[in-house]
Amino acid sequence: MSQSLGLIEQLYINIKQAQALTVINFKSFPQRIAASLVSIISIGCVAAVILSVLAMTEGMMKTLHQSGLDNTILVMRAGAVSELQSVMFPVEMNILANNEKVIRDEQGQAQVSAEMFVNAEVNFNDASGEQVSKSLALRGISATTTLFRPNFKLVSGKLFNTGVRELLIGQAIARRMPELIVDRIITLGGAQWKISGIFSDENSVFESELWADIGMVQSDYQRGNTIQSIRLALNDSNDLAALEKEWQDDPRLNIRIITEKQFFADQAESLTRLIRWLGFPVALVMALGAMVAALNTMYAAIASRSKEIATHKAIGFTPFAISVSIVCEAVLIALVGGALGILPLYLVFDGWTAATQNASSLSQIMFNFDINAILIAKSMALALLIGLLGGLLPAFKAMKLPVTQALRD
Amino acid sequence: MQNNNEIILKAINKSYQKGDNTVVVHDNFNLTIKSGEFVALMGPSGLGKSTLLHLMGGLDQPTQGEVWIGGQRIDNLTQKQLTQWRAQSIGFVFQSHHLLPVLSAQGNVELPLALTPLNRKQRKEHASMALQLVSMSERADHYPKELSGGQEQRVAIARAIVSDPQILLCDEPTGNLDRKTADEILALLAKLNSELGKTIVMVTHDNKAAEYATRVINLESYILSQNKAQAEAQNNKMNKAEVSLGSNL
Ligand SMILES: Nc1ncnc2c1ncn2[C@@H]1O[C@H](COP(=O)(O)OP(=O)(O)O)[C@@H](O)[C@H]1O
Ligand SMILES: [Mg+2]
Repeated sequence: MSQSLGLIEQLYINIKQAQALTVINFKSFPQRIAASLVSIISIGCVAAVILSVLAMTEGMMKTLHQSGLDNTILVMRAGAVSELQSVMFPVEMNILANNEKVIRDEQGQAQVSAEMFVNAEVNFNDASGEQVSKSLALRGISATTTLFRPNFKLVSGKLFNTGVRELLIGQAIARRMPELIVDRIITLGGAQWKISGIFSDENSVFESELWADIGMVQSDYQRGNTIQSIRLALNDSNDLAALEKEWQDDPRLNIRIITEKQFFADQAESLTRLIRWLGFPVALVMALGAMVAALNTMYAAIASRSKEIATHKAIGFTPFAISVSIVCEAVLIALVGGALGILPLYLVFDGWTAATQNASSLSQIMFNFDINAILIAKSMALALLIGLLGGLLPAFKAMKLPVTQALRD
Repeated sequence: MQNNNEIILKAINKSYQKGDNTVVVHDNFNLTIKSGEFVALMGPSGLGKSTLLHLMGGLDQPTQGEVWIGGQRIDNLTQKQLTQWRAQSIGFVFQSHHLLPVLSAQGNVELPLALTPLNRKQRKEHASMALQLVSMSERADHYPKELSGGQEQRVAIARAIVSDPQILLCDEPTGNLDRKTADEILALLAKLNSELGKTIVMVTHDNKAAEYATRVINLESYILSQNKAQAEAQNNKMNKAEVSLGSNL
């Protein structure tokens, strides 16, 4: 006579059964791999897309957060979103530099950097002699500018001479365009420039720029003596609000100030938002597609196994255990798919340098794909979630499958 | 504990609702099978033989009536209780064996033991014992596709008896087998009945089954005679009622 089992025992039996069935399902998985291929591939694609988006935003964040100093303030024309849109006059720079909060050297010179920032149409011949044209950021810099880039290092060549068309290129550009080497002549807006050296700046966004003498940039781009942005080093960066107020009230000035750190953080924010806005909807649609594929695969699997399932029920397996094993199988499919999507991406693209159009400067910034364990875990989690959701309905159906029917036909 | 495996179907009605139509498979059906019987249930297809087996095994519920097995009423148990009861009380053998291709004979036979508290070693021993009973010990490591139809059915029988249920329900177990192999399977079932005292109900089309079973029920004539008896009983009652009514006048 059967004794009624306690809750714990029932749970134990259910788990044991589910485990036994799952082992069986896993064992027969190789035979069903062809039938599951669509699911595996589509889940793999979703994982790959998500991982790309995450790696891209991660790399971009790293690059932009690497850029900018805390005690440096960036001054632009009021209303300018980026350096590109800003126009400033030398008199304004003098007023700003005279403020006692600005750091001075032993000679009493204020630590200030006047900079130009334009979008240059760069033409050069690539390895095959083909002419290529790129839109790159060109920064006109002053003698003091490197004081504001403490990580600036010349990796090859030498600094440019002032008063001639010579320039430095950032390491990120050099990496992506290997044709650009020291002493190479390139064309910027019709004029010939010589590459005098290549610099690094700890993977900051500046490595995606061309640096040249500010005077040459002003004359080549017909800007007279106007500049675009001013960097100031402050004694006490904590009192930014007071400084802002002071300059706001000055009728001779019409400017916007922001710490350089904040400026790049904002850019990082808007860029990553853009990538997410573009990437996530695509991933979402693909995820839904993959879920339907998983759903289909599991429904088909159940249909072809209805007798097997009925037999299991007849010999005493609980419907719950059967459905758990179905879900596990769907998750296994997702695991295989996820791994297939993630692994090649990791092997090929980790550290790979990509370029994107910077939305606010319209020139390219370069960054590395940064694939790390957390991003892989996130992508895999999404793949598994798709498998889980795709397996739930079929599992429910298997649970409800009428035994007598399946055994009869 | 007394070994009571009596199977009683009491006033069973089994019908299906097909749209507006009601398909009646069994109506007021009664059957008692005693402990230790080996019953061959015969009859044309579509008469409801499988349905009766499913009712006895708690795989299906009657529309009306009661199913008693070993003194316990099972038709009103919950699915959960049934699953658990079935695992320890009933062994099923089907026409197609439904063995799992990914498991060896041993693995297939061990499968129902996943439901018991037996440990791995004990499960192995029980399965080996069951395989020995069906003379399949040498083939324990073979996979279903490496076995003949008769051997597969033997493994399926081993799987049905491995948790030592007292009742075996077999639905056309020899339906797919050639004469010689079918005889071997029938002999095996007869042995399980006579030597181990299993109560067996076997649905079959095989006329030779009568040589092995302890009772043969031809369902068609069984139902006819049952209906006749019921009609007579009904008549008698009515007559009696009339008589008593008449005497009152
Ligand atoms: N789900 C169902 N719906 C309607 N009728 C059914 C259903 N399942 C079985 N039947 C009917 O029940 C009858 C008995 O079936 P079954 O017990 O399998 O017969 P047998 O085993 O004697 O060949 C058949 O006529 C079949 O059509
Ligand atoms: Mg039948």
